[in-house]
Amino acid sequence: METSVLFASIASDLGQMARDTALTFGLDLPHFIAQCISFGIVAFALYKFAYQPILTVLEERRERIAESLRNAEQIKQELARAEAQAKEILAQAGVQAGKLVEEARQAAARLREQETQKAIAAAEDIIAKAREAAAQDHARMLAELKREIGRLVVQTTVTVTGKVLTPEDQRRLAEETARQLATR
Amino acid sequence: MQLLIGLLAVFLSGWTACAAAAGPATSSHGGEAGAHAGHHGLPPAPVTVFHLGPLPVTNSMVVTWIAAAGLIVFARRALRRIEAVPRGAQNFWEWLVESLYDFLEGVIGRDLVRKTFWFFATIFIFILFTNWISLFPGVGTIGWGVQTEHGFRLVKPLFRGGNADLNMTAAMAMIFFAFWTVWAFQANGAKGVFLHIFGPKGESAGLMRLMMIVVFFAVGILEVISILFRPVSLSFRLYGNIFAGENLLETMATMIQEPAWAKAVFSVLLPIPFYFMELLVGLVQALVFMLLTAVFTMLICTHEEGAGGGHGH
Repeated sequence: METSVLFASIASDLGQMARDTALTFGLDLPHFIAQCISFGIVAFALYKFAYQPILTVLEERRERIAESLRNAEQIKQELARAEAQAKEILAQAGVQAGKLVEEARQAAARLREQETQKAIAAAEDIIAKAREAAAQDHARMLAELKREIGRLVVQTTVTVTGKVLTPEDQRRLAEETARQLATR
Repeated sequence: MQLLIGLLAVFLSGWTACAAAAGPATSSHGGEAGAHAGHHGLPPAPVTVFHLGPLPVTNSMVVTWIAAAGLIVFARRALRRIEAVPRGAQNFWEWLVESLYDFLEGVIGRDLVRKTFWFFATIFIFILFTNWISLFPGVGTIGWGVQTEHGFRLVKPLFRGGNADLNMTAAMAMIFFAFWTVWAFQANGAKGVFLHIFGPKGESAGLMRLMMIVVFFAVGILEVISILFRPVSLSFRLYGNIFAGENLLETMATMIQEPAWAKAVFSVLLPIPFYFMELLVGLVQALVFMLLTAVFTMLICTHEEGAGGGHGH
């Protein structure tokens, strides 16, 4: 019984203390509710006009940046791939160019050889023909010389002997001269 | 730059308005008190300045509404047309919101910040804005007064610091308490909340387990009392700091009374260092209120891993 009275007294004192405090600091329900509403309006307005649009924009921007970074990474990889391909193509082109140059060299060498051979053959042919022509000229000249000498012998004989030679004598004498010239 | 110029303009207009309304004796914050010898400082309760229907509007409510309207208009104007490349006021808001979001995410975690960011950000921005707007010359110096034999005496200031009103700080604390309860039940359920507060922590068995249940139930009762007192401590901490700051500025402004030239000079010069201190106090108190409410929320919403982790209240 005494305990309950004590608790009731304490509760009453606390209540009185709270009332005094509220009175001292001007705490009352209408003003408290008015301030709650003020804060609520500010919170709602800031949420609607500031937090929501800004957080949306920030999220969009974050996504855009992430996407840009992904794209940049992709472009970088593609660039690296393209560079590698270009290097490979250049290397292949180098090899191919070397091969072509070598083939061209070989072809040129072959052509030169062929042409040289042709030139040699032509020269030899020309030389052979020249030789043949010279031989023919030599033979013709010899033949003419023999004939001339034969004629000179006949004429000399006619002149020396004063004898008229018959065509048979002339032929025989010419043949004899030609035979002797051939043996010399 | 436009913002700075605007703030300067408001500051100067507040200064001149203060001088115009209060006369030569009230040229700075709290200067009205210098007009009389029997000054008793700022009253602990705000004063009703007019009635809006059935609601008596106090001078602190006027400042609160100005701060609220200013914030809303500023946010609306800055963010009406959001551009992909931010500039000017949009840049400022983005910096503020993103910094707060990252900061709170570091404190209470990624999941909780998504749900509760609007509340903590509003708490910080609104308290900070109200605290700083309450430092403008004219707050506490423009209003209704009487001419005494010692000069003009302001008896009913039109403006009073928004957080120098226990109704405002208590309103924010109680709103937090209501949301804290909702978030706690959403995160843990009724059984989870009960176990979070009264449940035994640590591994034990047999008789020791029974003893632990009794001990932690008693601890839970203390915990409930501490939780119930949180709104009281939150509201009185903020109120006390801001109310004390206003009294300090007023005291500094009225400290030198004689001779007249010294009073004129020092009523302006003496409060200046304390204005900087009050700027810092305004920021720190906004941060403290936000951090405490965030940490309280994090503590109740964090799921313990097994029975071994204490919740660290």
